[in-house]
Amino acid sequence: MGDTYSSLVAAMKALTQGESPAEVITLPMAEDEWNTRPNAESYGIISLDFEADSLDGDDAKLDVSMEGSVDLFSHSRSGAGWVEKIKKTLETYCGACWSLNSHMYERETGLFHWEWTFEVF
Amino acid sequence: MSYTVKTEGMEELERVLYALGEKAENIASGALYEGAGIMADEMKKDAESIRTAPFQYAAEGKTRLPSPQEKAVVTGAGKLGIAKFRKEDGEVNTSVGYGRSGYAEMAGKIVPIPLIANSINSGTSFMQRQPFVRKAKNRGGKRAMEAIKETIEKKVEELIKENGG
Repeated sequence: MGDTYSSLVAAMKALTQGESPAEVITLPMAEDEWNTRPNAESYGIISLDFEADSLDGDDAKLDVSMEGSVDLFSHSRSGAGWVEKIKKTLETYCGACWSLNSHMYERETGLFHWEWTFEVF
Repeated sequence: MSYTVKTEGMEELERVLYALGEKAENIASGALYEGAGIMADEMKKDAESIRTAPFQYAAEGKTRLPSPQEKAVVTGAGKLGIAKFRKEDGEVNTSVGYGRSGYAEMAGKIVPIPLIANSINSGTSFMQRQPFVRKAKNRGGKRAMEAIKETIEKKVEELIKENGG
């Protein structure tokens, strides 16, 4: 466990910092997701939430799968292009392990919120 | 899922299969009810463990915890439910959660319960996320499946005995 998640986090970070210098707009990530809210047009959060399943044997955990999530908050209805990029990154790093768990609109802030959940080994 | 049913004699087998065909839906419903109960219990337990803080508007650039009033919306009696069983083409389906919970009163306002539940479960830009429904689903899923399997096996065995198998 950990390899897929680390590579996914690295990929997400690379994505949020812009792949090439020509890409001016970047996606800020909340550094401490529990308590920060970057002041940006769009921003994202990636985190591991809890253990989803495990294969136990010989008094040990042989394999553990963790469930995590990627959140995208955006003032743009289309997610300013981040939706496609995040989906593509998820697909590259964990195949079909992810799904869109919720998509909401916040009337108070005018933000659109996407939440993808994924399961990694 | 597949089950092995043992019976002796062709006539008995015919009787058992006939009875099984007639009662399959009832057996499935009973088993599903057991499983749904386990899921609902897990969800209730997790809803009760939601962390709260007295309500205050989230500070600039910060998020806040759900307020006790918001928690009360999802933990109050009759809020969490098991949907009416849908029987179609030999399948029985239901859902456990807040999907059809309706509305509740919160701080003098009427709010939709599923909206509050989703806001706590998935978080918002100003509220911290506490994925209690997803956690319950992961933890209870296996146990619910086991319970469903056990109930079906027990009921099928009873049916075989009734029909002299």
